[in-house]
Amino acid sequence: MIRWLARLRDIDRRWLYLATAVALAVPFVARGRIAMPPTEPFMVTRRLFDAIEACPPDKVVLIDSSWNMGSQAENEAQLECVVRHLCRRRVRFVVISVGVTELGPEFARQVIEPIAAEAGRQYGTDWVNLGYVQAGGDIKVLIEALCRDLHAVRPTDVHDTPVAQLPLMRSVRSINDAHLLFSVTYSPTADWISLVKGQFGTPVAFGCMTIMSPYYHTFIESGQLSGMLVGNWGAAEYERLTQARGKGTERIAFATYGNCAILAAILLGNLGLWAARRTRGRTR
Amino acid sequence: MTEALRTLAESLTPENLAALVSAAATLIVFSYLVKDNPLYRLALQAALGAAVGIGVFIAWRDVLRPKWWQPIQGAFAAGRPPADPFQLLEAVTAGRVACPKWWAAALAAFPESRPWTDALWLLALVPGSLWYFQLSKKWFWLSTLITGLFIGVSAGLAFKSQILLILPQIGASLKPIVPFAGPGGLTWASTLDCLNHLLFLVGMMTTLLYFFFSLRTESRFLRGSMRIGRLMIMATLGAMFASTVMTRMAYLLERLGFLCDKWLAPR
Repeated sequence: MIRWLARLRDIDRRWLYLATAVALAVPFVARGRIAMPPTEPFMVTRRLFDAIEACPPDKVVLIDSSWNMGSQAENEAQLECVVRHLCRRRVRFVVISVGVTELGPEFARQVIEPIAAEAGRQYGTDWVNLGYVQAGGDIKVLIEALCRDLHAVRPTDVHDTPVAQLPLMRSVRSINDAHLLFSVTYSPTADWISLVKGQFGTPVAFGCMTIMSPYYHTFIESGQLSGMLVGNWGAAEYERLTQARGKGTERIAFATYGNCAILAAILLGNLGLWAARRTRGRTR
Repeated sequence: MTEALRTLAESLTPENLAALVSAAATLIVFSYLVKDNPLYRLALQAALGAAVGIGVFIAWRDVLRPKWWQPIQGAFAAGRPPADPFQLLEAVTAGRVACPKWWAAALAAFPESRPWTDALWLLALVPGSLWYFQLSKKWFWLSTLITGLFIGVSAGLAFKSQILLILPQIGASLKPIVPFAGPGGLTWASTLDCLNHLLFLVGMMTTLLYFFFSLRTESRFLRGSMRIGRLMIMATLGAMFASTVMTRMAYLLERLGFLCDKWLAPR
């Protein structure tokens, strides 16, 4: 028995891949019958929700949507739930993609347009997509310029319409016209915190991949970040707060099955290691 | 046969074709999990090529064309004789435009000179092209001029940025650990808060201590503290590893969702 257990240590990794894939395939088959576990939303998610709820009517939310297929797995659900909330609360928002990926505006458009159309929000008056801005040598230069004069940094929107012709942009010139900056990307740059929050005093919130979240928790503790969505879990919690069901809830519920497979693999691997050590002890 | 071909041709809409190519690319990339193969490497190179191509196109469409090429083009297409630069200088020296913002003010004083001044964007080619001297051994030193400029600007901004980032962190590290010192006196909430702060303090101090390599570690207290610091680091790394697993799982789920919803059974 012990020798058989010791063989668990040497399972071919391809079996583990297959087991994970099978575990993740289960929820796709049983779709619709899987619910989000009822948990109290994490403090960082609630803070972002509260920040958007507190947005005054004369201000906008500036969204830096700088993600593409590389981080679509988590950033898509984050942008979706925040935009849905903004549309429901009738908060106006400006979307821009700063420095990370040229495909940012297109991916943002695919998420925002259906939600805005469903909520009856008009492009140009309720929301604007300013497109991509290249960072060049240093993203700090770009962020500072953007905070001072959005029109100078991005004279036209993503459709080549001069920003001065867009009704929403007539009341939005600098970061002082924004209530909150929400940066959603794989790993938002800390320069948003130091410049937007530190220098100009506008609150900043992030939507990041789960892998990057431990780094940003220190900024939550110090009050430099006004909220954060951590991967699909953050998006699912936000959907719970807004009483909507979207990609975040679905993906995190499905991921539970994969996580169970990983936990089982860790347990089996450790059992194999323990058994191998015992076998070695006996043969000595 | 002809009917079947016609049905096939009709079903090949751009959306279906895109889904088919994406699904094939996904499956090819997944094939690496079984074994490295030429198809996987081909997909990798294609992805890199496409990313570079898109990057160059967008950089031209969104940055270079509207901010550099179109102003220059406008300046030459205007068909006006260039404004006299001496006239501009005269206006400045005569005090009709104020210094130190003389350049902007001078331009405002001569609106008709605007198209001509846009042609000055051509000068951006000079510092911009300096970057390419990195490719020459003989003229490499020329590229150091522009690199130096960029490093200087970046260093200055980084200094400011780091101060604005780190100083609030230091301030936030100073937390009260005496439960009855607060305005509400001794309560359950203040006690729990202070315990939390104490845990934070122990974690921070012991972790910092772990990185003091110049300390002599004969002291049992010091060794114990460093061990706690190491445990704290290990717990952090554990949390980071779990985050990594969650992210990778999300990647896999997104692709599986694509294969199921958009390729196998489009809704």
